[in-house]
Amino acid sequence: MKLTGFFALTEREVSRFLRVWQQTIIPPMITSILFILIFGYSLGSKISAVAGVSYIGFIIPGLLMMGVIMSAYSNTSSSLYISKFQGQVQEYLVAPLSYWQIIFALTIAGVLRAILVGAGILAVSLLFTSITVHSYAMLLFFIVMVSLLFSFAGIATALWAGNFDQMNIFATFLITPLTYLGGVFYSISMLPSFWGTVVRFNPILYMVDGFRYGFIGITDVPLWHSVLLVLILTVFFFVLCVWMFKKGYKLRT
Amino acid sequence: MDAITIRNLTKKYGDGTVALQNISFSIKKGEFFALLGPNGAGKTTTINILTGLANKTSGDVLLFDQDVVRNYQQARSLVGLVPQEFNLDQFDKVYNTLFFNAGYFGIPRSQRHSKIESLLRELGLWEKRYSKVRELSGGMKRKVMIARALIHEPKILILDEPTAGVDVETRKSLWTYFRRLNQKGTTILLTTHYIEEAEELCQRIAIVHKGNIIALDTKNNLLELLERETIKVVLSEPLSVLPPSLKKYGAAVQHNALLLTINPKQNNFSKLLDDLRKTKLSIRKIETERTTLEDVFLHLTKK
Repeated sequence: MKLTGFFALTEREVSRFLRVWQQTIIPPMITSILFILIFGYSLGSKISAVAGVSYIGFIIPGLLMMGVIMSAYSNTSSSLYISKFQGQVQEYLVAPLSYWQIIFALTIAGVLRAILVGAGILAVSLLFTSITVHSYAMLLFFIVMVSLLFSFAGIATALWAGNFDQMNIFATFLITPLTYLGGVFYSISMLPSFWGTVVRFNPILYMVDGFRYGFIGITDVPLWHSVLLVLILTVFFFVLCVWMFKKGYKLRT
Repeated sequence: MDAITIRNLTKKYGDGTVALQNISFSIKKGEFFALLGPNGAGKTTTINILTGLANKTSGDVLLFDQDVVRNYQQARSLVGLVPQEFNLDQFDKVYNTLFFNAGYFGIPRSQRHSKIESLLRELGLWEKRYSKVRELSGGMKRKVMIARALIHEPKILILDEPTAGVDVETRKSLWTYFRRLNQKGTTILLTTHYIEEAEELCQRIAIVHKGNIIALDTKNNLLELLERETIKVVLSEPLSVLPPSLKKYGAAVQHNALLLTINPKQNNFSKLLDDLRKTKLSIRKIETERTTLEDVFLHLTKK
């Protein structure tokens, strides 16, 4: 099978976000520095250690996951939506590219941007505190799977959205609040029992918790719950993307 | 093997509008073929189905025997499309646009540069290769889309209203360019609502009206459908009564002129001159007018 077309589209997608690295790579690093300064340094000293880990060490994995989620999602969603808006998405449709080639080219760029952002946040975190790693395998699993998941979700959103307002609905009303409430800044054990139950319905909590396990080796929810949920959601969004592309959902009349 | 085969193609949209009603036709290899029709006739829908931008409702579409749905990847690689609406990445450079599109069609990196250079030079865009698309004029953007469609040297070139919004000079130069491509063997399907364009370029013309093909023939045969010559006789003084001997020419009086029609095939021009002389009218001048494709078009679409 010829993969030249797939590599060309991947290259285009990667060069697209690298060309504007000031808008795609740097902002999440600045956000993370701000959170580390405010919560980690000034307020964090007043918060007792969580599960034996300093508060700053507790929030860094969450901040990293936050950056990964946002970067993966916004890369595929904005790239594909702008392509749709300009009509340039037709270039992919009239070319001999298969549906999965288009999906994976977009996704690889999303994953790569997420990993670059994650590495950047990790690098700036090291300026403030030392970091230990409990399980490299789990770190790799969560960073790759979560960025795949949100890359697929971004593609599905871009295909579905008919205008800029619809485009922003999920990021504004779902992903951002769920991320902030997804255990980045607190452990479930710090919450009253009612809210401790409510937050368990937030899928992002599991991603943050599982990823944090990779660093500190401690979880709020059983690790296999997190692994399973991430796998299920990733497969779900992948199948959704393939189905939408195959059907030509809002792409072909 | 035909370049394009369309069999019983129907397209219904979700809201119930029927864009194409069971149309069938084929285009031979090497032909320059026009789909002519008013806006909304179904021309772009046909093209979109050929190129994968629209789903058909029923029927078959083959490009060099490759089904555009079942063997879509093989079918797509045979076609280059210049769409009607601008669909370029406005923020990217001309060169990059062609570089990536060449890649999508499977051209290895090492071969892309020379192809891009020769195309851009032919179209007079080489100097603009590092300009962003949005900085170009409408005519230049149109040329970038033409270069993009040709980057993989397709066997079939589809031009959807290729000279819409282009100045006269550019239009003429594009016509020359398309003709040369066709002479080199590229099959070209053109849609247009400029009759002049179809008349100028194409060997066969299909007239599309309300989702149907109402006529499909060579340009000359189409003209014969409405074969007649109109003769305008301008008189020195106004005429009040029509001479009865001219009635058989479907004569009509228009101010101080007489309008007569004859069928040139019946070769009755000298008879008409005799009849005119016998009326003893004082004639200032005689003009003749041939049928144009526009007359045929209006005649057919009015039915």
